[in-house]
Amino acid sequence: MPDALLLIAALVCAVIGMGWLALAMDVHWNQVRAAGRSPRTAIVLRVLGWASLAASLVLCLMADTATMAVLVWMMLLAVAAASIAFVLSVQPGILAPLIAFNGDSPRGE
Amino acid sequence: MFASFRLSFAWLHTWFGLVLGFVLMVAFFFGSLAVFDREIDRWALPQTRIEAQPMPSFDKILASRFATITEPDPEEIEAASKRVTKPLPDKLTPAHFGAYTTHRDPVLGMYVGFDVPNSTLPDDHAYGEITIDPRDGHVLPRDRLALGSAFFYPMHFSLHITWYDIGYWIVALAAMAMLAAIVSGVVMHRKIFREFFTFRPGKKLLRSTLDLHNLTGVVALPFHFLWSLSGLIIFAGIYFPVLDKMMQPLVEAHEREEATHTGLDTHPSGKPGTLASVDAMVTAARERWASRGVPGEVGFLFVNHVGNSNASVSIYRDSTDRVATAEGLHFEGATGRVIFEDPPTGPIETVNGFLSGMHLQQFKHWTLRWLIFFGGLLSSVCIATGFIFFVEKRKHAHAREGHPGSRWVDALAVTTVTGMVVATLFVLVMNRALPEDLAHRDTWEKTSFWIAWLLTFVHAAWRSGAVLQARMSKAWAEQCWVIAVSGALAVVLNAATTGDHLGRTLAAAYWPVAGVDLTLLVSAFIAVIVARRLQQHASHPSPATASLEEPEHA
Repeated sequence: MPDALLLIAALVCAVIGMGWLALAMDVHWNQVRAAGRSPRTAIVLRVLGWASLAASLVLCLMADTATMAVLVWMMLLAVAAASIAFVLSVQPGILAPLIAFNGDSPRGE
Repeated sequence: MFASFRLSFAWLHTWFGLVLGFVLMVAFFFGSLAVFDREIDRWALPQTRIEAQPMPSFDKILASRFATITEPDPEEIEAASKRVTKPLPDKLTPAHFGAYTTHRDPVLGMYVGFDVPNSTLPDDHAYGEITIDPRDGHVLPRDRLALGSAFFYPMHFSLHITWYDIGYWIVALAAMAMLAAIVSGVVMHRKIFREFFTFRPGKKLLRSTLDLHNLTGVVALPFHFLWSLSGLIIFAGIYFPVLDKMMQPLVEAHEREEATHTGLDTHPSGKPGTLASVDAMVTAARERWASRGVPGEVGFLFVNHVGNSNASVSIYRDSTDRVATAEGLHFEGATGRVIFEDPPTGPIETVNGFLSGMHLQQFKHWTLRWLIFFGGLLSSVCIATGFIFFVEKRKHAHAREGHPGSRWVDALAVTTVTGMVVATLFVLVMNRALPEDLAHRDTWEKTSFWIAWLLTFVHAAWRSGAVLQARMSKAWAEQCWVIAVSGALAVVLNAATTGDHLGRTLAAAYWPVAGVDLTLLVSAFIAVIVARRLQQHASHPSPATASLEEPEHA
């Protein structure tokens, strides 16, 4: 069912977007990588994060009528943010692939 | 009064949050369950475990069923007899018929509104209700409790305190406090963005509790705000009864004026009349929806001025495809001619419809339904961690001074957090354990809920003595074990008494029952993990837990 796929994609985008926004913050970046990151990387992560959240909204709008889509998106953001916070508190290394494009070595290696 | 704006908001947040937090806990937890009220009904009423049914034929089934409702329900008559200036006549006249269903209902609720003469209220009615099986029209027994829609759902907004509607007012006050707590919480929070994703379970309890409180509060902030607000809006008519109290003459004038262009009379003609085929009107409504390309079954069917020459039939499309509800087509009863169609709503009505629609969730969107359920659970966690933080922050000082404050807050917190879950699971267990043909079975179930809840309070109060010595009450872990056992027991009893074990319901993809069973098992599993962690924590308290270091904000 395409609607279900769109919603799954919207959730994935929301989670990844929240992950990038978290990694744009020093404290969470340091949980994943030993080496610090440049201010430029922080900006890139922030842009990627917001773009991904916007993509999530677009996917929601493709799946449902606007009034319903806004509610779905709002709730997806809450679930996504809570999931990222949970991952960061339990196993932050899971987020490492999100910054694989930035070539520094992962924390502890 | 306070040194700073922030401190005054902290005071507001702490004390209003504490006092009304207990009510909010009930409102949000049972509200979360009410998201799946129809599914819980199927679990609790095994004879209704069938697929959802569309509105049945009026001419063949509903008309004869409405005719069997000859008087209001006894409690309705009793309530009405207190609103009249002269004694009620023996026989009341039916004024309107209503039948209501959704895409999740295998059973159909029907009611007849009877005129209450000489009432102190304008346009007063007393209601007689039945629930039928729409496939053949047989009436379902009255003393079977629809746990989801008739117990958990009303608990969510009225606490089942019906005396002077005081329950609605308490919940409303709590919702106002929630709105105030959201605003004051944002003002108090120094690092709302910097700690947006922060949860440090490894830190001392005070810190990690506050992290979780902030996290669940902030990530679901729009949810907390919109649902508290829309809950207030839905019952605004009770809280601000301007329309039927202060502005009654204006309202009547408006109704008369509206009737002139809708053609829907406000009062019965007093002359006898007959109804044309309502099924033909339903067919006409369906054709109109199909021609517009909107999906639709009949969600609500209403016959006004029953038996009068100016009777009208209103047919409302169900709300599967949209957030806002109510989209009606109105027919002349005698001829079946369309008199009026609800026009597109204006801006205020649109906003109102959206806010109440999102709260009432009649739409067909299972993803959104689950997301809203999780939103409610996030709110519950936020409130519960607020209590724990309150106790953790004060218990050492209170222990030194011999002050019983934290002890009682802890006892009430146990009662409204784990105790409420225990009582909820206990009523599910009783629902399956009580004999099927027990008279007044519904009363037994409700009573067992209140007794179980009371016992959790007694247990919590007894165990909370530990808080007086700045230790953790064992009641938390013990009630988690009760949750684990009763959750699993409910699933076993369901399988034993109905044969609908998970193997069967999953194979048949009968999600209402499979979903409730799975949720019970997941809850039991989580309760085991929590209970074990709490007990480990109690036997090896980390040195940090005992320290009195203050967190960064109140």
